[in-house]
Amino acid sequence: MFLRLVADSFGRRPRHKLLTGAALALGMGVVTAALSVSLDVGDRLAKEFRSLGANLIVTPQADSLPLEIGGVDYRPVNAGAYLPEADVPKLKTIFWHNNIVGFAPILEVSARLVSSPEELNAFQGGTAAQLIGTWASHPLLLNDGASFTTGIDKTNPWFQVEGRWFSPQVGRLKRINVSQGGNLGHIYAKNRDECVIGLNLAKRMNFRVGDQVYVNVSDLEKMQNYVPCSITGILSAGSGEDDAVLMPLSAVQQLANKPGQYRKLYVSALTKPEDVFAKRDPKSFTPAEYDRWFCTPYISSIAFQIQQELPGTDVRVIRRVAEGEGQILTRVRMLLWLVTGAALLAAALAVGASSAASVIERRTEIGLMKALGAGSGTVGFLLAAEQLLLAFVGGGAGYALGIILARLLGERIFGAAPEPSLIVFLVVIALATGVTLLGSAIPLRRASRYEPAPILRGE
Amino acid sequence: MMADRRANNRAMFWRIIRRLFGANPGRLFVMLLALGAGAAVTAALLNLEVDAKRRLTSEFRAFGANLIAAPKSHGAYPAADTLLNQSLLRNLPSEFQGHSVISVPFLYMIAELSLADAGMQSSVPVVVSGTYLEELPQIFPTWDFQPSVIPAHKDKFVLPSHASALCLLGTKLASRFKLASFDDIELKNGTQKVTCKVADIITTGTDEDSQILIDLPAAQRLASLSSRIGLIQISVDGPPPTVQQFQSFLAQKFPDVDVRPIRQFTEGEAKIYNRISGLLTATVGIVLVLTGLCVMAAMTNVAMERKNDVGLMKAIGGSMRRVLRLFLAEAALLGLAGGMIGAAAGIFLSIGLGKAVFGVAARPRLIVYPVAVALTIIVAILSAYPLRRLASIRPASVFRGEA
Repeated sequence: MFLRLVADSFGRRPRHKLLTGAALALGMGVVTAALSVSLDVGDRLAKEFRSLGANLIVTPQADSLPLEIGGVDYRPVNAGAYLPEADVPKLKTIFWHNNIVGFAPILEVSARLVSSPEELNAFQGGTAAQLIGTWASHPLLLNDGASFTTGIDKTNPWFQVEGRWFSPQVGRLKRINVSQGGNLGHIYAKNRDECVIGLNLAKRMNFRVGDQVYVNVSDLEKMQNYVPCSITGILSAGSGEDDAVLMPLSAVQQLANKPGQYRKLYVSALTKPEDVFAKRDPKSFTPAEYDRWFCTPYISSIAFQIQQELPGTDVRVIRRVAEGEGQILTRVRMLLWLVTGAALLAAALAVGASSAASVIERRTEIGLMKALGAGSGTVGFLLAAEQLLLAFVGGGAGYALGIILARLLGERIFGAAPEPSLIVFLVVIALATGVTLLGSAIPLRRASRYEPAPILRGE
Repeated sequence: MMADRRANNRAMFWRIIRRLFGANPGRLFVMLLALGAGAAVTAALLNLEVDAKRRLTSEFRAFGANLIAAPKSHGAYPAADTLLNQSLLRNLPSEFQGHSVISVPFLYMIAELSLADAGMQSSVPVVVSGTYLEELPQIFPTWDFQPSVIPAHKDKFVLPSHASALCLLGTKLASRFKLASFDDIELKNGTQKVTCKVADIITTGTDEDSQILIDLPAAQRLASLSSRIGLIQISVDGPPPTVQQFQSFLAQKFPDVDVRPIRQFTEGEAKIYNRISGLLTATVGIVLVLTGLCVMAAMTNVAMERKNDVGLMKAIGGSMRRVLRLFLAEAALLGLAGGMIGAAAGIFLSIGLGKAVFGVAARPRLIVYPVAVALTIIVAILSAYPLRRLASIRPASVFRGEA
């Protein structure tokens, strides 16, 4: 009988129920879309912030004091400590290795450039410039068999190269086929080194892509040490690198006579904005707090893990990038949560109002049921069952609608859709149930005080 | 006679409207609640959206300077005569199109830091950078200034009367030479000597960690370069196009100065700003459209309950147009009332929200208020419009309870 009453109520006034359901579905759609976006936005924006480049810098602990101006180190080659290049891939073995999006070791020395062999023979001294050895799109084979491509193009994504970056394979021996007197043979020749030259330097020395340049480390200057390299690209960096020459790390190591060594390492990592907890000194943590700190991708805990993995290093946070990112991310997240909260409030009020109205309008029906001997409890139960059914159907439809909208939004803005989450579904269904029940409870309470007779008489 | 009847008609119209409102206060409240909630969210989000985008660009100043003014012929070691003149600094505007501009000069040199280690006098080369110390916390707000022994007054360092100059030490340099705040250090460059008092140790994660930052006049004395500066770091507030305009404005005004954007930050900021503002607009748009539809569905539901009233009015001879006009007027009035209350609440809400997010109350935009009210009225009228479907209704069947 109970089920029949409920079914009858839906069958008798389909349009009415459809509208209540539509209000519910739309309201819950808003909530789902806003919640999905808010939950997802932190991770997505953190990726966007990596366009600011590296947020950690690794230097040798036992280093002499760098003489750096505008990112360029003016120390001679022999001063200061170096780090082994062989250890660099270990960065991808730390606990948060998936959060390391890129890294690039740097070896910089002051160098002299000449543009032609004639100039070289005349030994006119050439032009002074900074020579930077680094990786660009450098493939790495990791311990777990996976490969990872990284380099300065990942840590300094604002670098623009007209032409292309130097390729990492260059500098190895290459087989060249030759024919001499009808006999085919081959010789092994060293491939010419490739380099990328800064925009300002290229302008000053009139270099273009494809030109040759002869490079030498100024501290170890000997005529025969000049190494030819062909320019594959002109770099526009907007900083000190515009006046420098960039070459593959291995080539600079050879030139500077520092095989397998580098001076500093830029690391770009996805992090969680630091909160009050993360700003505390890790030494003051209890073991449980330490675990929580270690297992959260705060920049400080990632720095700590890198320091553990690369002994003898000093890992510093580039505060300008990391703190700025943290501040802005926190603000944006808060903003979106507030938008979500406002949407939730409006949807709840509108849906509650709709279900309240649907109960108010059924006073005659309630009066009739009571006149036929139904108690307030039975009537309330019947109406609550109807509203619950609506809440589930409407909430479910709203969730589906909201997920579709959130996907569209995510794909339009970030090029990736947020994952549908179970929590959002539960929250939406709970909210739909709560709001409809609460909305109908208030008029129901008032209705339970009515005497059936006046209602039936239409008073 | 005609005028009289029209006046009567009008009086009757308003009487019916009054009765419609008065008949069921519970229902009136429910409708106002739904419309008011919609209006409040509309007003709050519209107000916040406009304000948030403006504030976000200010938040980006956490990244520090975004423009650099440097001498044109900029090589590895700039010669003295290619340096900028300090007078240039005075000619830089402190405001551009209503956005604040902070300019801080820097003069770099390599000088000798004297160390008195166990009676042994020695010296090491260090990078000394002359600047306006008191403006550093403003242009680079993310630098970590350790709690200073010299009282920082409103983010400014106060020079104690007995010291000749103040300086800040990079954390790497300080820990290497075991220097602390309040120490006196001596810097030498050729025959020039400058003594300064350490005001603070700073952590930046960049070059400054291994530098000594000193008052600009002291640095100029040390380098024997009076009224010369190496470069100017400029932090311009405002959306990316404004920053670009400011750059070209400076480039035009000072043709012999190389004004260039710090691409790392200008490009990153532009990218992130576009993403965030796109996200905000899209989210607010979706929330507003769905909330509007939701309110409309709820209101239509309520309006359809007027079936009996429509039937009755038709039965006593009202034309459908007239009856419909009556109910649309009721809806419009409801929309007006709900909108006015809701939008006012929404504007106050957005002020509070702005304060919660950005620490500064959002400036209420008056244009938002009428827009939100108008939107609410439109939603209310649209939601009552389906009543016209009742035109075909037969009054008798309504009374029999059939339809």
